[in-house]
Amino acid sequence: MFKTDVLVIGGGPAGISAALSVAKFGLKVTILEEREFLGGQLIKQTHRFFGSREEHAGVRGISIVKELKENLSANDNIDVLLGATAMGIYEDGTVTMLYKGEVRKIIPKKTIIATGAFEKYLPFENNDIPGIFGAGAVQTLMNIYGVIPAEKVLMIGSGNIGLIVSYQLVQSGVNVQAVVEAAPNIGGYLVHASKLRRQGIPIKTSYTIKRAIGKEHVEGAEIVRLDENWNEIPGTEEIIECDSICLAVGLSPLYDLLSHSGCEMKYIPELGGNVPLRNENLETSVNGLYVAGDVAGIEEATAAMLEGELAGLDVVSKLIGNEEIQNEIITVKKALNSLRAGPTGIKIRNGISKLMNMETEKESIKNNMTDLSHLKKNGTPDTVNIESKLPDDSVLLKGGKAIIECYQGIPCDPCMHSCPFGAIIKFEDINDIPKIDFNKCTGCGICINNCPGLAIFVINKDHTDATSTVKMPYEFLPKPEKGSEVDVLNREGIKICDGKVIQILDGPKQDKTSVVTVEVPKAYYGEARNIRVVACDE
Amino acid sequence: MNDDKIIICRCEDVTLKEIRDIIAEGYTTIEEVKRIARTGMGPCQGKTCSQIIAREICRATGKKMEDLKYPEYRPPFGGVLFDEIIKGDPDEE
Repeated sequence: MFKTDVLVIGGGPAGISAALSVAKFGLKVTILEEREFLGGQLIKQTHRFFGSREEHAGVRGISIVKELKENLSANDNIDVLLGATAMGIYEDGTVTMLYKGEVRKIIPKKTIIATGAFEKYLPFENNDIPGIFGAGAVQTLMNIYGVIPAEKVLMIGSGNIGLIVSYQLVQSGVNVQAVVEAAPNIGGYLVHASKLRRQGIPIKTSYTIKRAIGKEHVEGAEIVRLDENWNEIPGTEEIIECDSICLAVGLSPLYDLLSHSGCEMKYIPELGGNVPLRNENLETSVNGLYVAGDVAGIEEATAAMLEGELAGLDVVSKLIGNEEIQNEIITVKKALNSLRAGPTGIKIRNGISKLMNMETEKESIKNNMTDLSHLKKNGTPDTVNIESKLPDDSVLLKGGKAIIECYQGIPCDPCMHSCPFGAIIKFEDINDIPKIDFNKCTGCGICINNCPGLAIFVINKDHTDATSTVKMPYEFLPKPEKGSEVDVLNREGIKICDGKVIQILDGPKQDKTSVVTVEVPKAYYGEARNIRVVACDE
Repeated sequence: MNDDKIIICRCEDVTLKEIRDIIAEGYTTIEEVKRIARTGMGPCQGKTCSQIIAREICRATGKKMEDLKYPEYRPPFGGVLFDEIIKGDPDEE
């Protein structure tokens, strides 16, 4: 029998953060992780995180997990059991686990459940033929085992997972034929959508998959348009050629263990399905049993880490309580609230309000005076959006200036912290949309690779009499070489002109997001937003 | 739509047609559908199919998703061999 002060079930971002916040007060923590390695979904996240600087914003998921693991091993109060499956929770708080082929009992004083989530499935004809994957499986194959799942993928779902996995597929050299989204608007962050569009990938909103084509393997897919009542519109069917269909249609909390414990659950679609009732410090209806991360309601890793910390701190306050902890709890709650406070947090806020039996809010446009309907439907901004970010010609003629094509209030602030000249006006709230003081902007481009949304470009309109330059982020292989000719693409990934690479920054500071300066004919500075490296004959 | 070719429960190979037929016979809870079709009794324990079945029940009966009762999970989570259970906890002799 194992005895421990606090048992944490699940070694992902929420579980690790919970363990760290408990152990730093000298309590003994045991983490059970079902797999042979820690990190949960973080170990597949090669993109930079959003959020605030205090919570790893701008850092890639794979680097965050490294840091978390270092902190774990530096703490003697934490025992990590890998390959340990929690099998059951019983009325008296006893937990059973399967570890090294033996069933063991653990009697903790408190338990924090951070088991994460499970991918949702979608009913369509032939939805069981080989070549149909969940997005998580695709990410595992690519980013853990280095195996590409297919050559031509159709992505179903435009939430952040669908958009991010699509982008990673393109980085691996896979063709993403389209992203299909049943809702009328793109679900994920619009900067992620724009990144994909610049690769020439269409995002088809108000479309759904009707059937997979193929017998032994996926050979294609039939998609169909939906009307405003989500009914298929006959005659709008299209065949997409693909050898794989990737489902990114949402997650639901993995709540088996909560069910064992008799914890009260409630169905909240905004949070992914059945979620446990809990108080604001994440203790469930079962005394001493806490939740953190996706199992408490589907959100993202930054929120999961904060929830882990919050649950951990509350556990400590119950076990050894002191004043200092109460202050820390308040700080973490503030950070969580601000993460959820913006226009994109409305779903989470409403889900939590429903769970707590509080009033829900209507979607308001107060944070967004600009009309984003075109961007939300297509992933590309309209001309009004674009012009709203461009300064007067008099400014553009003074040398390079950063143009931040970020239109949606998302919880993200690394750009503001990255500018050494204070040209990105200080945010009042983490969900603010960045604004530039062009008098201070020197066009250095440091912000470009600090933007997790890859939404910043530096334009020097008057490079020569006939040409302008555009500095842009670039995350694909092969990297262009200085002096080489490249195809210059617009926001839809369509070639608009030839260009010449005149500079490439690709050092440790860029951390694999190269900053490429391309010289283009003057007429194209407003449109040139991506490049394609042209294969040279050798 | 050919609902005979739409798999709802991957573990037990149950199609949308079978689910709809069972609901049409009057079995309108997730638990009843589970007992007849075995949906939710395979390795994933209903994580894939439950919400889809719930939606089908709501479609047929007009009930709301939040009003449906989901089957409870019981220990053990995941697969365990009898041998592993019989051996017991090595610390408890």
